[in-house]
Amino acid sequence: MAETAAAGAVTLDPLEPRPLVAPHHDDKSLNDTLLDYVWQKPGKGWLMLFGITLTALGGLVLGVSYTLAKGIGVWGNNQPVGWAFDIINFVWWVGIGHAGTLISAILLLFQQKWRTSINRFAEAMTLFAVMCAGLFPLLHTGRPWFAFWLFPYPSTLGAWPQFRSPLVWDVFAISTYLTVSALFWYIGLIPDLAALRDSSKTKLQRILYGMFSLGWRGSGRHWHHYKIGYLILAGISTPLVLSVHTIVSFDFAVSVLPGWHATIFPPYFVAGAVFSGFAMVVTLMVPARKYMGLRDVITDRHLENMNKVILATGLIVSYGYMMEHFVAWYSQSQYEIWTFYVNRARGPYAGVYWLMIACNVITPNIFWFKKARTSIPIMWVAAILVNVGMWCERFIIIVTSLHQDFLPSSWDIYTPTWVDWTIYIGTLGLFGTLFMLFLKFVPAVAISEVKELQQELKHAAAHHGHHGVEQAAAGTLTHGAH
Amino acid sequence: MDAPVLDSWVLAEFATPDDLVKATNEMRLKGFQGMDTYSPYPLHGGSEALGLPPSRVPFIALGGTITGAFTALAMQTYMNTIDYPLNVGGRPLLSLPAWIPITFELAVLLTAFGVFFGVLGLSRLPQPYHPVFEHEAFRSASTHGYWLSVPKLAGVNVDDVQTQLQSLGATQVTVVSGEKE
Repeated sequence: MAETAAAGAVTLDPLEPRPLVAPHHDDKSLNDTLLDYVWQKPGKGWLMLFGITLTALGGLVLGVSYTLAKGIGVWGNNQPVGWAFDIINFVWWVGIGHAGTLISAILLLFQQKWRTSINRFAEAMTLFAVMCAGLFPLLHTGRPWFAFWLFPYPSTLGAWPQFRSPLVWDVFAISTYLTVSALFWYIGLIPDLAALRDSSKTKLQRILYGMFSLGWRGSGRHWHHYKIGYLILAGISTPLVLSVHTIVSFDFAVSVLPGWHATIFPPYFVAGAVFSGFAMVVTLMVPARKYMGLRDVITDRHLENMNKVILATGLIVSYGYMMEHFVAWYSQSQYEIWTFYVNRARGPYAGVYWLMIACNVITPNIFWFKKARTSIPIMWVAAILVNVGMWCERFIIIVTSLHQDFLPSSWDIYTPTWVDWTIYIGTLGLFGTLFMLFLKFVPAVAISEVKELQQELKHAAAHHGHHGVEQAAAGTLTHGAH
Repeated sequence: MDAPVLDSWVLAEFATPDDLVKATNEMRLKGFQGMDTYSPYPLHGGSEALGLPPSRVPFIALGGTITGAFTALAMQTYMNTIDYPLNVGGRPLLSLPAWIPITFELAVLLTAFGVFFGVLGLSRLPQPYHPVFEHEAFRSASTHGYWLSVPKLAGVNVDDVQTQLQSLGATQVTVVSGEKE
């Protein structure tokens, strides 16, 4: 490996990693690159995007207020399609959230060092996506001011929640997920908040960042507890992600509805979540790294790796579709066959179905080609298509299964109203607004972790000793830092 | 945190993390106690250099896990089996398999709280004021500086400590006091 390191960007060894951190950085220049964006005055681009997302957020306020004033009759939901846009969007947003935890937790446990530059970004995405997700079931209850009825509290009614219901499991899963993600994100943020405090220019900044950094001073004794704590949080987040989307899939799988009642659902939903989550990370990261000057820490290798994950999970999702169809045929249940072979592919929502197939089954296969995996425009368009495809998947699962089930007498067509669309676009606005604020007020890249990685790479380079430190740090040494 | 409350520290900055770890090791071997290192990221071999015992965070986390799982099982059993029995399609009142999801979630939640408050508690955080912040140059500890603090012990000459630190490669040495005067 040492010999090929000098060969430049094109290398024949498939195990040869591409750079994790551009080699010319030291601690000081990393600070300047990564902290600078926070201290800069917001640029025109930021203000413009913030304006757009804020407008969309206004739409959310409008849609929600109208719903609260008039009741959920203003939505397109009907009998039999009682779960429509609200549950579609709920599942879609939760799924998007999962990539953050996966990048943070699973890649940390597997010692995948390339996660370092993107985990903060992805975790923020998780947090905001889960907030958007949580909004939908809350509104879906119709009377959100009674949402506390879902929690076990000693009520004067003398009744307790029904713990055999997947909907109650959902409440616990989503609230736990949001809390744990927030703790994980915040604890990772503390050292960087301290760095912001210590490089702040005004007294107000110093006080505010000082408050949030809790007096962190990089003490060796603190790091000692911090390191193990962070690892444990990663360890418990990994099964947590799997459990959350498994439980979300139980909402469907535990029923007897054709199209929902399938044992493939938990793994298929988890794979779909990772698929859409990574696609969202690529969608957001491609422009952000360009405009924030983060190319040195979020390298082409990161993007390529994420595209590989999208390809792999895309294939799992395709397998899920195949299994659904196979089991429908194998069971010879006429209701299942109707749903999968007649209604979905040729029924009133066939357009959405084929869009889903095009986006989720065909699109990711472009990443078999290295040219596509490393081409910024191709990956960006593909990632957006995947997001669209995954939304269509949830639409197909929910609407086509509900609108024609066992009795033709109770069949109906579902059409979303303007309120449905406003609330959906509004949550995109909420997500975007929170994200823009995140980019402006905290470092989008975990600085202390990038520095630690840089130091490890240098250590490893010193051990190899055959060639220059910079070459080694750039090219060859991600496989064994110690 | 194990150190007694002291009125002043000798603070020394080192040029690289490796110098800092080496110096910490040397000072510990010389018998200095209650020292602390400060760096923008965890030092390779830093805990060993300070001679710290294994962190107790994992035990606190385990306590959270057990409490969470037990609470969830007890809660569901009491609420759905004893206090408000619900017969759903003739399923047993004590339906343990149905209680796995919530038991798992609550166990994870309390583990996370254990880790979070364990790390903060053992680190004595939040602590908005600390004497080392009095030294302006120390602000580099969170960005690119590598510092060592040696508490001033009774009967030890401060100048002597400073000389020793300088001979170990400290780029600057200073004394900070715990009290504003």
